[in-house]
Amino acid sequence: MGEDAGPNDVIPGGPDGNNSVPAIVFKPQSATPPGRREPTPEVDVLDAELAPPPPSDATPGSFAAVVREHGDRLYGFCVRLAGNSADAEDLLQETLLRGMRAWPEVRDRDRAKPWLFSIATNLWRDLCRARGREVATTPLDALEADDDDFSLYQTIAIEDPFPYSDELHMDFLRLFGDEDVQAIFGSIPAAFREPLILTVIHGFSCKEAAVILDVPLGTLLSRLHRGRKKLERGLWKYAVANGLVSAIDEEDAR
Amino acid sequence: MIDCREAVRRMWLYLEAALDGPHNDELEQHLDTCTRCCGELEFSRRLRELVVDRAATPAMPPEVRQRIELLLTAAEPEPEAGR
Repeated sequence: MGEDAGPNDVIPGGPDGNNSVPAIVFKPQSATPPGRREPTPEVDVLDAELAPPPPSDATPGSFAAVVREHGDRLYGFCVRLAGNSADAEDLLQETLLRGMRAWPEVRDRDRAKPWLFSIATNLWRDLCRARGREVATTPLDALEADDDDFSLYQTIAIEDPFPYSDELHMDFLRLFGDEDVQAIFGSIPAAFREPLILTVIHGFSCKEAAVILDVPLGTLLSRLHRGRKKLERGLWKYAVANGLVSAIDEEDAR
Repeated sequence: MIDCREAVRRMWLYLEAALDGPHNDELEQHLDTCTRCCGELEFSRRLRELVVDRAATPAMPPEVRQRIELLLTAAEPEPEAGR
């Protein structure tokens, strides 16, 4: 190992070394994602720019590519927004049509996913309005503040539904199957449910969720908190109402 | 120092990494000294996982995917002919 090591040749601790610790290999950083033609380092920038574009069905940044990447998530979001698959399909299709028309104007294409989600959200609101349904932007802050300080953790500890369990809280959570959680989730008012869906299920940051729902960040944070309290309360009510636990104080379940 | 009530109010946002520096630090200081709240934090984390696992969104049915593909292919501009 006497010669000068180029970036890619000698790997310290490689096959002929007896070093069992994986070596850190320093390679030149490349911004090119794997799977794309990578210009060799000798090619200068101008030549690289003249390279032909990749084939169309894989064109990064095309609307089709974006939909292929985020379509499943977007469909799932539509299902949760609409609450049934027929409306969800229409909503998805409408979202994609609108998105397709607007796509050439979109500058920040790295933000395509939140952008698509906000189109779906707006369309869904329009649709609800058109159907004369109550839209979840009515004054909410005065509404049902009583759930805000409900603590499921505390309630389980006090009610002690599994007297022989040493994993009381976890046993409580194990009571719920997919349909149970979805039913409870569906009963949370949309304004509180949507922030939960976006952050917990779809992994958006609170800031992104606020942009998608078109509310100030503070409003989003407060609705997220209240949504979770409603979820906690919902889980408890559901467990009592369905006989999954027997509450000492039935009043709590009303 | 914040009390348990305030700590609980911040917990869900803590799990979302949505607390700003000072609020985050205050909560962590509280957690350092309060086993009750550590228990509730762990519970909140599991509850969050429950939602992720149980309310995870359904996959797109094949016929919807097919419709979407048709829509995309029909609207996709022809690629420019190779130079």
